[in-house]
Amino acid sequence: MMVAFLTLLERECRRFMKVIVQTVVTPFVSSFLYLLVFGVSLGAAVELKNGVPYLSFLVPGLMMMALINNSFQNSSSSIVSSKFSGDIEDLAVVPLTDNQIIWALGLGALLRGVLVALVTLAVGEVFHDQQLGVWLPVAHPLYLLYFTLVGGLLFAFLGISVAFWSKGFEHLSAFSSFVLLPLTYLGGVFISVESLSPFWQQVSRLNPLLYLINGFRYGMLGVSDVEITQSLLVSFLGLLVFYVMARISLSRGSFQRW
Amino acid sequence: MTQPTTFPLEVIDLKKNYGSFEAVRGLSFEVRAGEVFGLLGPNGAGKTTTISIVTTLEQATSGQVRVFGIDVAKNPLLVKRQFGVVHQEIINSGFFTVEELLQFQSGYHGLRRNGERIRYLLNKLGLYEHRDKRVKQLSGGMKRRLMIAKALVHSPRLLLLDEPTAGVDITLRENLWDFVRDLKREGIAVLLTTHYLEEAELLCDRVGIVNRGRLEAIGETSRIVHQFARKKVILDTRSSGRKEIFAPIEKPLGDILRDAGVDPMDLRDIQVEQGRLEDAFRRLLTGDKAAPAEGAKA
Repeated sequence: MMVAFLTLLERECRRFMKVIVQTVVTPFVSSFLYLLVFGVSLGAAVELKNGVPYLSFLVPGLMMMALINNSFQNSSSSIVSSKFSGDIEDLAVVPLTDNQIIWALGLGALLRGVLVALVTLAVGEVFHDQQLGVWLPVAHPLYLLYFTLVGGLLFAFLGISVAFWSKGFEHLSAFSSFVLLPLTYLGGVFISVESLSPFWQQVSRLNPLLYLINGFRYGMLGVSDVEITQSLLVSFLGLLVFYVMARISLSRGSFQRW
Repeated sequence: MTQPTTFPLEVIDLKKNYGSFEAVRGLSFEVRAGEVFGLLGPNGAGKTTTISIVTTLEQATSGQVRVFGIDVAKNPLLVKRQFGVVHQEIINSGFFTVEELLQFQSGYHGLRRNGERIRYLLNKLGLYEHRDKRVKQLSGGMKRRLMIAKALVHSPRLLLLDEPTAGVDITLRENLWDFVRDLKREGIAVLLTTHYLEEAELLCDRVGIVNRGRLEAIGETSRIVHQFARKKVILDTRSSGRKEIFAPIEKPLGDILRDAGVDPMDLRDIQVEQGRLEDAFRRLLTGDKAAPAEGAKA
């Protein structure tokens, strides 16, 4: 049983390593540009209420954005490309349980997310050192680990659910553009919610990503726009909900090729 | 006391509905060890649906499917270890090489070190020199062979072949036929669906003919041919020219001529075409199996 699970996990890792340019080089370029434009140029004019330099504020936000986007993309594109090529049926007829499939795809996606987040961190550290003369600290390593694991897995499970329910590439693309992207941008990657009006602060609190991004930021910088216990609870609940969704999508979703 | 026989595959009163549409209507058959069983029927007859239920891709509305005595609905995981399946549609996965795919497939079945079996299958199916190619670099025939290798990588005792030779050239088709015969010699049970009735006649020990989800006939291939096909006798007579007569296979030629009122001395030429599975199939599907298998047309 364990061999089957490890094989699928290995396949997932080797799949994203086959597209190393997409996995490492693209996020390297995009994080470089984000940090240059937002962190250095525009960031000089931004003053945060909690006194944290904007560049320090931005790096963990970008890391979390990289983590969740890549986790989502990895699990969903793995299933969607299998649906397109037809080998999704193979997955359904080999002796793997739904639980094994979800965890293997989830961990594979998490690993890709962590890899891309580390690339973002490496670029961020260089900018941070150059601009502020110090390396970016890690205030609470255990919180950082918790939000990395929960954030990556949560979006990996979401990717599995969306991909199994998708009837075509456009479904997946629509979800990414109309749901994931706005939530990410409005979840506190680039701005502190404290800088918003009270109304939009309340609206932002309905966005589950706010808790993940701020929890992760708390792990690195020790500051957060929301209570850390609230972040811990909301993200854990989110993980449970998306795991259940992934289980349901596997048992009721389609294993038919497109 | 004798133990009840455990068949590699047993399908009992299987039904599958999609809404109000009945795709499979009470299908029952078994596949025995070391035999090739052909499930034949026109498009939409329910063959692929049946295979999908056996492989757990679909759930039956009612009825039972057992693989080596294990109920597919009750223990799907255990059942999945027992069979290999070659799906109808060709798989095009672009990321991995032939050898990598076979290693993954072995791993899914719990086999970490399966190099020897993989090499055997690559050689047997003529894929060894293509083992480092990605699937998208393979020709259609090679992809089909790769799918067969994947299905056999864990040495299953039951192989499900859903139209394995569709779109394959005649040379490769003949190679695959030889391969299926080898599997049969190894004692592997094979369930084959195919549109090529010549293929079914050559390979299958027994066949089941399905139409609109219902089994129209089942039995040894030769018996089905004997029972439902007719032989065609083409006569060329001096008095009335060319004439075709259809008659039961077992009917002696002398009786056919006598019944047709043909004097043997009047014959210029005579040709006899033996009954084929294709003829039996056509007659079963058009519903004239009950009609006397005899007739003549000028």
